Amino acid sequence: MHKLLIPVDGSANADRAIAETLRLRQATPDLEIHLLSVQFPIDGHARSFVSQEEVDDYHREEGLAALANARRLLDTAGVPYSHHIAVGHVADTIVRYAEERGFDRIVMGSHGRSGLMNLLMGSVASEVSRRSRVPVTLVGPVQDVA
Amino acid sequence: MFESMMHASFWLSVLQIIAIDILLGGDNAVVIALACRKLPEHQRNKGIAWGVLGAIALRVVLIFFALQLLALPFLKVVGALLLLWIGIKLLQPEHEDEHGNIEGSTHLLGAIKTIVVADAVMSLDNVIAVAGAAKGDLGLVVFGIVVSIPIIVWGSKFVLKLMDRFPLVITLGAALLGWIAGGMFVGDVALRPWIEGTPSWLHYLTSVIGAAFVVLLGTWLARRREPEMAPIVELDLGEAARQPMGDNR
Repeated sequence: MHKLLIPVDGSANADRAIAETLRLRQATPDLEIHLLSVQFPIDGHARSFVSQEEVDDYHREEGLAALANARRLLDTAGVPYSHHIAVGHVADTIVRYAEERGFDRIVMGSHGRSGLMNLLMGSVASEVSRRSRVPVTLVGPVQDVA
Repeated sequence: MFESMMHASFWLSVLQIIAIDILLGGDNAVVIALACRKLPEHQRNKGIAWGVLGAIALRVVLIFFALQLLALPFLKVVGALLLLWIGIKLLQPEHEDEHGNIEGSTHLLGAIKTIVVADAVMSLDNVIAVAGAAKGDLGLVVFGIVVSIPIIVWGSKFVLKLMDRFPLVITLGAALLGWIAGGMFVGDVALRPWIEGTPSWLHYLTSVIGAAFVVLLGTWLARRREPEMAPIVELDLGEAARQPMGDNR
């Protein structure tokens, strides 16, 4: 059984990662697929006005919204999967999640983002692939076959 | 104001104010998003609009008082110390236990109340910092308030994302607060007799000292309190995890 982690942010990148996974699955049907949405933590003063349950509810709602499209794609393809929502620094959480829970591979789409945004924000995908000890498959926009 | 627009220091203040608004405005944005979350769809935008309006009105009042107060002897010294503290606090990791229990309201007035009360508390740091950066220029103060509006309304995700992808902005922001504090300190009227006759670059020196103080002390404290490798926070999805997709659309 090959454990696959697909971090999902609700963007077209995630859709590409799903398409790639479906392709992988044709060669290796024995895949265990996990979707993960990582939500930014809410900190500072904001937390002193809102209860933990409220914050969790909010994360859950945003996370499920981010996961929706990827889940629909997998449901349509009739592929079983489980999905998770975590809270934390995005790249950091993805890397640790994969390592601590014994994943064999991370599959993620990478942004075909324009120069300035990339310079400012960097890309989560490239940070993950740089830091992860679990092998990472990056799916760029060029390979888009979906 | 137009004359001052020719000077580099004016634009420096403009940049400082924008940075402060982004850095210290994210909180407000998050509270608004959370407070209006449970409102019925058709009331949500109304809640956001009124909440923001109330928050801004409050901010105008607060900043007006801040400007008056900062003209009094020794209060710039107090303001500077407060800014140093805010800067150091910005660099500290989260406390898990600092939680309020205000429930997200399901009715409009409740949501607006939450937003305004939260903003009264959360704007204090912003107001002191903007008043310090504007150095009494009313045009700049107004500018600072105007810039903060879109950040409060639409900025929550942007600010959170910025801090996630680029944690250095937090350190830079803390340094900026220290810098402003250093300049504010020597600007106090009570200190004028001592400042007179000192070279004009003195306030740069105190600004640099302020920035260095905040960053060094802040990072040192943060490092001391940082728990080693907190476990990953994973939410329990409960029923939602077993629901087929169709149900949560």
